[in-house]
Amino acid sequence: MKKSVLDYGLRVRLPITIMVILISYAITFYVSRSERDGVGYKPDQPINFSHKLHAGEMAIDCQYCHVGVEKSRHAVVPQASTCMNCHTMARTDKPEIKKLTKYYESGEAIPWKRVHQVPEYAYFNHSAHINADIECASCHGDVASMDKIEQVHAFNMANCLSCHRAPHEKMPYLADKVKKGPEDCSSCHR
Amino acid sequence: MNNSVDKNKNQIDLPVVKSESKPSHWRSLDEYNNTSTDNQLKVKANEFAEGAENFDIGSKSKVSRRKFMALMSASSAMVMAACTDYRDKGEIVPYAVKPEEVIPGIANFYASTLTSDGSGQGILVKAREGRPILIEGNPQHPISKGKLDANGIARILDMYDPGRLQRPRKIQGSKLVDSDWKVIDKEIIQSLNSASSSGKEIAIFTGKIVSPTYAKLIEDFKVKYPTTKVYSYELFNDNNKQIAWKKSTGGNNYPLIDLDKAAVILSIDSDFLGTDGNVNENIRQFTTNRDFENPTSYSRFYQVEGSYTLTGSNSDYRLRLTPENYLDVVASLVNHFASKQGKPTMSGFKSLESLAKENKWKHEAASKLLSDLESNRGKAIVIGGKQLPVDLHVAINYLNDLIGASELYRKSESNFNAVSLSSDDEIATLANNVKSGNVGVLINIDINPTYHLPYHFTADNLKKVKTVVSLSEFENETSNNSNYVLGINHDIESWGDAKIRTGVISTQQPVIAPLYDTRQREAILLNWMNGGENYSEDIYHKYLQSNWETNIYPSLNRSVPFKEFWFATLHDGVTTFNETSIVSTEVNSSSVSGIKPTNKSNYSVILQENYFIRDGRYAGNGFLQESAHPITKITWDNCAMISPATAKELNVEIGDMIEVALNGKAIDLPVLIQPGMAEKVIAVDLGYGRTNSGAIGNGVGFDVTPFMTSKGLSKWIYTGATVKPTGNKYELVATQEHHALDDEFLITEVRKNAEGEVTGGGETFARARSIIQETTVANYIKNPKILKEHEHDVFSITKDFEYNNMKWAMSIDMNKCIGCNACSIACYVENNIPVVGKEEVGVGREMGWIRIDRYFEGSPEDPIMSNQPMLCQHCDNAPCENVCPVVATTHSKDGLNQMVYNRCVGTRYCGNNCPYKVRRFNFFDFRDNLANGHYKTESTKIMMNPEVTIRARGVMEKCTFCVQRISQARQNAKEDGRTLKGSDVTTACQDACPANAIEFGNANDKDSRVAMMREHNLGYHVLDYLNVKPNVTYLAKLRNSDSLGVKSEHH
Repeated sequence: MKKSVLDYGLRVRLPITIMVILISYAITFYVSRSERDGVGYKPDQPINFSHKLHAGEMAIDCQYCHVGVEKSRHAVVPQASTCMNCHTMARTDKPEIKKLTKYYESGEAIPWKRVHQVPEYAYFNHSAHINADIECASCHGDVASMDKIEQVHAFNMANCLSCHRAPHEKMPYLADKVKKGPEDCSSCHR
Repeated sequence: MNNSVDKNKNQIDLPVVKSESKPSHWRSLDEYNNTSTDNQLKVKANEFAEGAENFDIGSKSKVSRRKFMALMSASSAMVMAACTDYRDKGEIVPYAVKPEEVIPGIANFYASTLTSDGSGQGILVKAREGRPILIEGNPQHPISKGKLDANGIARILDMYDPGRLQRPRKIQGSKLVDSDWKVIDKEIIQSLNSASSSGKEIAIFTGKIVSPTYAKLIEDFKVKYPTTKVYSYELFNDNNKQIAWKKSTGGNNYPLIDLDKAAVILSIDSDFLGTDGNVNENIRQFTTNRDFENPTSYSRFYQVEGSYTLTGSNSDYRLRLTPENYLDVVASLVNHFASKQGKPTMSGFKSLESLAKENKWKHEAASKLLSDLESNRGKAIVIGGKQLPVDLHVAINYLNDLIGASELYRKSESNFNAVSLSSDDEIATLANNVKSGNVGVLINIDINPTYHLPYHFTADNLKKVKTVVSLSEFENETSNNSNYVLGINHDIESWGDAKIRTGVISTQQPVIAPLYDTRQREAILLNWMNGGENYSEDIYHKYLQSNWETNIYPSLNRSVPFKEFWFATLHDGVTTFNETSIVSTEVNSSSVSGIKPTNKSNYSVILQENYFIRDGRYAGNGFLQESAHPITKITWDNCAMISPATAKELNVEIGDMIEVALNGKAIDLPVLIQPGMAEKVIAVDLGYGRTNSGAIGNGVGFDVTPFMTSKGLSKWIYTGATVKPTGNKYELVATQEHHALDDEFLITEVRKNAEGEVTGGGETFARARSIIQETTVANYIKNPKILKEHEHDVFSITKDFEYNNMKWAMSIDMNKCIGCNACSIACYVENNIPVVGKEEVGVGREMGWIRIDRYFEGSPEDPIMSNQPMLCQHCDNAPCENVCPVVATTHSKDGLNQMVYNRCVGTRYCGNNCPYKVRRFNFFDFRDNLANGHYKTESTKIMMNPEVTIRARGVMEKCTFCVQRISQARQNAKEDGRTLKGSDVTTACQDACPANAIEFGNANDKDSRVAMMREHNLGYHVLDYLNVKPNVTYLAKLRNSDSLGVKSEHH
């Protein structure tokens, strides 16, 4: 019996097309996963600030600039006056520092691009983590080697829970300091 | 469950319902009579009731086709613009220069004082990143002691209200238009000068002034403009009490009472737990002696009243009486004691026995009252309501003298008036001067004469004044008749001070810079005095500071230098010092001679103060409008409260309009049949029917101030009204049957013996289900385990979860809860709960996480009332958790029933399965929905508590036990390196409760209060037979009477 065109279309062409669509969807879904989670996000900043220089080469402590992180939920981006502690004197001739000085003198806040963001329905608490001796790098990556700040880990619930459930695997440096992170919903959602 | 199902079908399998037996506890007359009028108060509304799911989208969204196109094109343009980088997360904008005390994420507290409402309450303002988000009481304030009334808590909403006056306005033609301070200042100074030079009066017309510095400023203003006269007026005031005290003793200030030392209290229509006097202090002191741990010194409280007040609902004996007969009660008591002591008596009055009989008081009430007063000499007090006529107060003063009540008068302190309120005669003089054109400039400050004194300050009369200036936060009725309307600062944008007592003075400091182009009232006057050229924002700050330095500080004899003292006082918000107060207590016994009885004629009308919107000044505040009246449970309205018998006589039902006529003034009002009202008495709240109070308050309720023109027993009590039904209907909305724990009140079978006599049974499930448990003090002393007698263990087929570490739990002492609603308002503010509006309340969609359930017991003629704050019980075996298909509500290891909003898909299964009906569903984005998005603006956005999610449409929400506060306490404990204790956390409702009825803490900590309450003999769990193991323990209320509710006469 000779196969009709319709028969061919329904039995061969259609399943193949659907297959291809599904497979490419699945591949794209998994491949783009980290992209969608923001991993590798590296926006241009209004001032070309280098963490590699400040935190790496000069080894300035994170909390020199990001103050209050041990007391508050938020790790604040420093105010311009913090930068000016040094930069009233240091490297005042450089174009980026001139930009900074201009912001400072005009009293205008610097509109830094946001890199890391926990979804707004989750209440992440920096102080709780910092006071448990968890290193900043465990979530933010090795900032000290980044010229331009970028996101290294996905900031999603799976990633949070992977540490909360097995802190010693993920953060061996903690030793006995931490048992386990809380897993109650209300620890983050309220 | 569903009301649309035929009722009979529902009851097939349930215990026999005998029509002749009545439920012991009931929420409404319908429930009592087992009738269904369906309609009137939108009964039984909950989220599953008929109509709850319906909505007419057209009525909700007023988007026209044109607007729709505009929105669509705008949003597609935005989508195009957003295509640049889908991973863009916006910006983080740090402070340019960070204020020293601000750490983002950490709240700061500032001590201040509320002065604009004349209450002088000490407050703490909680601010996050400089934004005030919550107002609480100042714990260091010796009068407020950390508590704040519902109005004070709700004041935060006023500050962010988009309807505030944002810049000065002046009249042009017949319209108010925005103007400029410079222009207006100049013009007003000109008017002041011309009035002053032409000898015309400059009248400053203001509300109650509590600030000594403000009072001094006005004196200075008088020096600059010598024709200035000051009038101070409040719609509700204690002038009568003051006059009577002067008549009785010659003293100027009536004494404060140590309620906490009183064993017997007789209140003659005084709403001292609701509106009369310093309510917070009264509640604290009153509940001190309502201590179940000390039952032998449990106070006994008699309330004589015609209306049904919050205070009356907390009495042990509520003696219903029409206001004309109040004097008879006092006189008969006076006669009893005076004749024994050989002192002058009062003649021509009815005896207590005949009053008891006429008004069907509980049979033992009258004799008990007499013997109590007699045997508690020095520990008994009679309190008269501030609204009562002078004569009655004089008689009460005399009675107090006879029973030795002066022992309870506070000797160490007395009330202090920075500026005394004007008498009615003085106000009338002002009105005449206005009318005759003698007033050149009328400056209204924080007062609304057109609304509050409509018979004096009509538009026509005010036209006779050349310049009318109104200073107010919001536009009001008087604004329309003013030449200038100047927006003033909110309390927490202002500097100031307050002195309401001798020996205590508190300071007011701004917590935020004025949101708009407004100035504080004192600064406006000061600027005019200074010539108006050099206004700066701190002129009054400087004035205040210098007044303290030169006048107040030297008198305090402090050893520290002024600067240090000033900053320390600002920090604490209050300072105390020794000041002698002179209280005269010598009562002149001849003062009562000539007092004649009042005769009842026709209907009596009581005009009362509303618990929430007060004299109408808070009409624009959604939190307060939505709070259900503690007695009637009506929201967004006032109504004519009448007794069931009076309703029958008039042949009206709930929601029928009646015309009340008083001396030629007739006003139509909707009827609310209120069980427990005295017969032929109509009680109406003042303060409603505002016509210019913004999008929220306009047209809510009915204005009855016009009645105040006529001559009454006092300004608030009238006799001789005529009433007739008009035949019209009006829709009142009450929450009394919303979220009912039982859909049907089921009655157990009535047991009868062989002769057919009833031997028992007939209890309803309300009692069997132990929603309300009460007993008398005497029974409790006799048998402390009385409420545990019928307790039986409920057999559980599942294993209990073990809470090894913390277990959060709450207890609520029903002896202390008086039903004031402060908890509920505090919860609204703390947890970002939206206001929904009358229409939505009507279908049971009010969103409050803690509500006060009200139950009546006994007959509708004279029931007793019980309150029950109801909130999520955080059950160990929470039924809501099992049914959620998406695991959006789960249990935590420390006993919290958690709600994850971003997971919730809105099936509402949980709400259906909740036996306590405490879950609330977001049918809409209510903020957007109400009054054209009135509470969804830039300004109200910054009022939100940043620690609590703002729930989207379509998700379920409920009380979280203030989990954000638990998290904060845990974080603090971690930082300090200690373990978290239950006492580290206080919930918002607990903080707000003026009676400290709410305890919160760790149930596993056996030494904690809350653990003790859980084990107490009076502790019980609502619906404990369901074995859901709730974690809110209620402490059964004790009543210091011989019996509980009087059963109906019907059977």
